[in-house]
Amino acid sequence: MQNWIEILLRSTVLFITIFVLIKIIGKRNVARMSAFNFVNYGIIAIITALISVKIIENIAVGVVALAVWLFIPIILDYLALKSKLAHNWIHGRELILIKNGKVLEDNLKLARLTGEDLLKELRSREVFSLMNVEFALMEPSGEINLLLKSDKLPITPGHLGVKVNPQTSPQTVILDGNIINESLSNLGLNISWLMNQLESTGVTLDNVFIGQVDSSGDLYLDLFDDLIQLPQPTVREMLCASLEKCQADLTTFAFETQDSEAKEMYSKNVQRLEELIRKLRPYLTR
Amino acid sequence: MVEIKHEGGVKMTVAMSVKKTLADLNGSKATLKIYSLQAANEEAKEIYKETTDVMEDIISDLEQRVKTLEFEEPQYKGF
Repeated sequence: MQNWIEILLRSTVLFITIFVLIKIIGKRNVARMSAFNFVNYGIIAIITALISVKIIENIAVGVVALAVWLFIPIILDYLALKSKLAHNWIHGRELILIKNGKVLEDNLKLARLTGEDLLKELRSREVFSLMNVEFALMEPSGEINLLLKSDKLPITPGHLGVKVNPQTSPQTVILDGNIINESLSNLGLNISWLMNQLESTGVTLDNVFIGQVDSSGDLYLDLFDDLIQLPQPTVREMLCASLEKCQADLTTFAFETQDSEAKEMYSKNVQRLEELIRKLRPYLTR
Repeated sequence: MVEIKHEGGVKMTVAMSVKKTLADLNGSKATLKIYSLQAANEEAKEIYKETTDVMEDIISDLEQRVKTLEFEEPQYKGF
C-alpha cells in the first residue's frame, strides 16, 4: 500500500474516533480544566498525531496507548460522580485562602501563592482593598473566587425591598425574516398576533432580522434596513402615565365639586387608584 | 348648578371633563385586561386581574357621577 493512502486512512479513522470519544469525555471548559486533565488531553493529542503520521508504526501499540489515556479518565470521572471521596482525590479540593476577612497564610503556602499573587488575583476581580473581602477560596482549577463583605456587595432590588417585574427569558420569534413557530406557541401567541404587531409598526416580515418577545409580551424588532427608526414599545409607560393623569384628574374633581357626597366618592377613588398604581408600577416599568 | 372648568382655553363643563377621564380610565382598563390575558407569569397575571377589577369599580362610580351631572346639565347630555 502506498504510504500516503495509509496515512490518509489512519488519519481519517483516528479523526472520527477521537472526535466521538472527546465528546464522551465531556464538554468541560478547556480553560478551567484541572492540571491533570490538561496533561491528559495533551497526551491524547500527541499519541494521535504520532499514529496519524506513522511515527508509531504498529497500529496496535498506538491504539492500546490511546485507549489507556482515553478510558482511564472516563472511569475516573465515573468514580468521581459516584463518591465524594474519589472526587476529592481526583479533582482536588478547594482551598480557603481568606476566612472572616483574615488571610490564611498556611493555605496560601499550600496553594503556592505569595501575598502579591493573592492581591493580584483580587485586583483582577476589581477588589483593591483586602478590607472588603470576607471570604476567598481557590478552586481545584486554580481559579480564585471571593465573597465581599455584606456591606460592600452590590445593591440589588431585593436589598431595597423593591418589587421588580419578573423577567423570564425572551423568546426569539423572528429570525432572518422567518417566523419561528415553536417559540411563538411557547408564549401562547400565534402568527396572526405577530402579523398584527408588524402591521401596527408598519414593517414587513422580510425586513425583520431579529424579533424578540419579552416576558411582558412586547415585541422588539431589529430590521435589515438600519435607516428606519422604529418606535420602542412604550405601551406600559404610557399606561402608567395615563393612570397617573386619571388620578390627578380625580383629585381636581374632588376639589372642585361642591357636592359632599361626590367629593367623598372622588377622594375614595383617588386612593384606590393610588394603591393600584403602586401595585402595578413594578410591572409597568422596566 | 353648572360648574365651569377651564382647560386649554376651552370652556369645559364638569360633565365633559369627567367623561374624558372616564374614557381614559376605560382605555387603561382595556390595556390591563389584555395584559392579564397575555401575561406568562402567574403573579403578574394575578395583579393585572386584580387591578382590572378595581378599575371596573372606579369606572362604575364615575359613570354614576356622570349620570347625576348629566341630570344637572342636560344641555350637554351625550357629549
